[in-house]
Amino acid sequence: MEKLQKLDIVKELAGNKTVLLLMPSLEYNDVIVKIAEELSGKSVCYVTLNKTYDSLKELFNKKKVDMSNIVFVDAISKTIKKTPSQTDSCYFVSSPGALTELSLVISKFLKHNFEYVIFDSVTNLMIYEKRDSVIKFVSYIINKVEASQSRAVFYSLNIKEHESTINELSMFSSKVIDLTD
Amino acid sequence: MMKKTIMVVDDEADIRDTVKTVLKKEGYDVVVAVNADDCLKKLPQQKVDLILMDIMMPGTPVREAVKQIKGVKVAFLSVVRTSEAEKEELLKSKNIVDYIQKPFDIDELVARVKKILK
Repeated sequence: MEKLQKLDIVKELAGNKTVLLLMPSLEYNDVIVKIAEELSGKSVCYVTLNKTYDSLKELFNKKKVDMSNIVFVDAISKTIKKTPSQTDSCYFVSSPGALTELSLVISKFLKHNFEYVIFDSVTNLMIYEKRDSVIKFVSYIINKVEASQSRAVFYSLNIKEHESTINELSMFSSKVIDLTD
Repeated sequence: MMKKTIMVVDDEADIRDTVKTVLKKEGYDVVVAVNADDCLKKLPQQKVDLILMDIMMPGTPVREAVKQIKGVKVAFLSVVRTSEAEKEELLKSKNIVDYIQKPFDIDELVARVKKILK
């Protein structure tokens, strides 16, 4: 928790285009709320692969996070309920495994010069896709971010099972921040 | 009394094996399926009283598969976080009897299964 309190994501992203944030599973919600709070007011594209848009809205509303400048990309809702392609503040992607669709939507947002992209999370990608596909996809998005005006933070749980993937992704990211002990 | 049969549908082998072991210990017959397609293939072959199904798996989307399941109770196991309203909406669907959030506590899972099948 101390590491989380000390984390200044705005400062970290000012010096690094992309950050891979390794998180403890028990404090996951605390981390995503803190970062959303810190980036609130700035233009943010929030890609969610583990919570529905409604669920995130519910969480952020409860914590009084200003979401007026956040646009969401939700890859979950369509898999569990009838969902439109988009609303004013959310684009819906078929599933977390629809990597082509996901990369097209993220690329589109990067062209609109969002200040920040939050990718939540690499771990969920690993549930649906093989290691090589995940590495290829995330490195592609990182390259896209590098070539854009945006800065991005990629969330990942720091779990042993995905150690080799995390290690490989660490090489592509500008900085790795480990919030676990 | 006839043993109740539960089908555990999850693409994660660890979850399938753990839930199977626990439920067998509780006296249930347990069959497993690796995804929604496998579940639909196996269902006509045997009588199942309850399906515990991961909501997000590769293959046919669970949302579509559930529409094809007739006369069997389904409880979702889900790593996905939904809003309370979405959860309520899901539970309004025919056959859907529970929504169990992963990671779940084994004792709680057993208690909920017992409640559904009592």
